[in-house]
Amino acid sequence: MTALLEVRNVSRFFGGVKANQDVSFSVEPGIVLGLIGPNGAGKTTLFNCITGFYPPSRGEVIFDGQRINGFSPDKVCKLGMARTWQKVRPLAKLTVLENTVVGALCRTNSVAEAEKIALEQLRVVGLEKRTEVLAGGLPIGERKKLELARVMATKPRMILLDEVMGGLNARESEEIIRLILDVKKHGLTQVVIEHDMKAIVRTCDRIVVLNSGEKLAEGSPQQIVNDPRVMAAYLGDSGGAKA
Amino acid sequence: MKTLVVCAAAAVVLALIPIWVESPYALHIFILLFIAIALGESWNVIGGFAGQYSVGHSAWYGLGAYTAFVLLQRKGIAPWFGVWAAVALSVIIALVVGWITFRLRGPYFVLASIAVAEIIRLLALNTKDLTNGAEGILASDLPPLKLGGTVITDWNSKTPYFYMGLAMAVFTIAVNYVVKRSKLGYYLQAIREDQDAAHSLGIPLTMVKNAALGISAACTALVGSFAAFYVGFIEPNQVFGIDVSIQMVLTAIIGGIGTVAGPVLGAVVLVLISEALRASIAQAHLLVYGILVIVVILVMPDGFLGFIAHRLRRKAAAR
Repeated sequence: MTALLEVRNVSRFFGGVKANQDVSFSVEPGIVLGLIGPNGAGKTTLFNCITGFYPPSRGEVIFDGQRINGFSPDKVCKLGMARTWQKVRPLAKLTVLENTVVGALCRTNSVAEAEKIALEQLRVVGLEKRTEVLAGGLPIGERKKLELARVMATKPRMILLDEVMGGLNARESEEIIRLILDVKKHGLTQVVIEHDMKAIVRTCDRIVVLNSGEKLAEGSPQQIVNDPRVMAAYLGDSGGAKA
Repeated sequence: MKTLVVCAAAAVVLALIPIWVESPYALHIFILLFIAIALGESWNVIGGFAGQYSVGHSAWYGLGAYTAFVLLQRKGIAPWFGVWAAVALSVIIALVVGWITFRLRGPYFVLASIAVAEIIRLLALNTKDLTNGAEGILASDLPPLKLGGTVITDWNSKTPYFYMGLAMAVFTIAVNYVVKRSKLGYYLQAIREDQDAAHSLGIPLTMVKNAALGISAACTALVGSFAAFYVGFIEPNQVFGIDVSIQMVLTAIIGGIGTVAGPVLGAVVLVLISEALRASIAQAHLLVYGILVIVVILVMPDGFLGFIAHRLRRKAAAR
C-alpha cells in the first residue's frame, strides 16, 4: 500500500540547535501512528515541519504523492491534512459553533452549509449542547474536544493530533481515546503525539519514537514497549548524566 | 430581522430631521456624526473584525479627498464621478501596502501603517505641481448635482450634505453587517482571535486580510472625499494627519470594537462630548477630551457596547 504521508530525511535547525535530524517514516492510509518521545525530542517541531508552519531545513514531506515542503499551512489544510495544537487555541471570543464553522468553511463558501457540517461534528464530539458558549469560557476538556471538532470540520483525509489528552482527567482521556478509535473506524488516517503510554498502546497501529530530534525506534506498540533503548531514552541512558 | 427593522426605522426618522430642524448648527452636528460613524465603521472592517490595528487610515481618507479634489480642480470632473476614481486608487495602493505590511504582526503592523500614512503625507506635501503642496486646495465651485437635466441640489445649504452623510453612514453599517455574517467575516474574526490557529484551519492569511483592507480603504476613501468636500478645503497635514487615523480607531474602540453597532455608539459619544466641550471650555477641550477617552478605555475595556451587554447579563443573572 502506498503511503499517504511520507517524511523523508527531514531535518530542522534553529541556528545551531538541531530540533529534528534526518527523521524518516511513512503513514499508510487508515492507520493511527503514534509519535512519542521525551520532552524536547522534537515531536511538535516535526508537526510544524509537516503542516507548513516551519519549512524543513532539509528533507522532504510528501503528502499523497505530492511534495509539500514550503507549502503554507492553509494550503496544507486545503490538501486535506489538519492539525490540532498542544496548547489549545480556541478562538476565544467566538462561540463553540462559530469556531467549528470557521473550520467547515474550508470546504464551502456558504455559511449555512458550514453550520450544518459544524453541528454534525459537534454532535460527534459531544458538544452539541454547548454551541452558543464562548470558546474562551470552556474548561480544558471541552476545549480539546472543540479543537477536534474544528479540525474534523475541515473534512481532512489525515489529522495530526498534538497531545489531545494532555491535562485531561481519566474520564476525559477515555472519551478522547474512544473518539480516536471511532474516527479510525471511519478510515481517517491519524498521527498522534501523546505521553500517556496506555492511550498510545490502545490506539496506535505503529509507533515512532523520537529522541533528541532523531528517530530512535519504530515498530508495533509491543515492540516499542519492550525496546530497552526507548526505556533508556525516557529514564535517562546508562551514562547516567541526566538520571 | 428585528434589528433590521429597527435600523430601517431609525434611518427613516433621521431622514426626516432636515424637515423639522432648520438650525444649520444642529445639522452640522448631525453631519459630523454621520462622518464619524461612517469612518468608524470603515476602520472596523480591518481593525475590529480582523484585529489589524491600522493607525494609518488617514492614508485612504486623504487619498480619497485628494483624488476627488484634484480631479475637480484640474480636470473639472464632478466629485460624484471623481470619487470612484478616488476609491479605485485607494484600493489599489491599499492592496500593494497590505501585501507588504501584512507580513508583520501586532505592534510592527501598527508602526508600518503609521509609516505608510506619513510617506503619503510627505508625497502630497512635496508634489506641488499636482497637489499645491502645503497651500492646499480649495473646492471653489462645486457643480450642481443634476439627474436627467433637473437640478437635484446646488450644495448651497447643509441639507444635501446631511443626506449624503446619512447615506454614507447607512452604507458603511450595511457593509459591516454583511461582512460580519459572511465567510470573510468568520475568517477575519478567526485571524483576530488566533492567527496560527486560523492559518492551520485553511485560511490564507494575507489574502483574507487584504480583502478586508481593500473594503476598508474603499469605504474610507469614499467617506474621506465626502468629508473633504463638506469642509471645502484640504491640505496634507490635515487629511493625512495621524489625528484622522486616531479618531477612527477611537470611535471603534470606545463604542465596541469588532461589532456592527459599536462605531455608531462610539461616534455619538465622541462627537457629542467633543462638541459640548468645545462650546463650554474652548481652549482646554482637547485636554479634557483626552482624559475622558482614557477614563472610558480604563473603565470599559470592551467599549460602551461591551459594557452595556455585560451589565445586562449581570442583571439577568441576578434575577
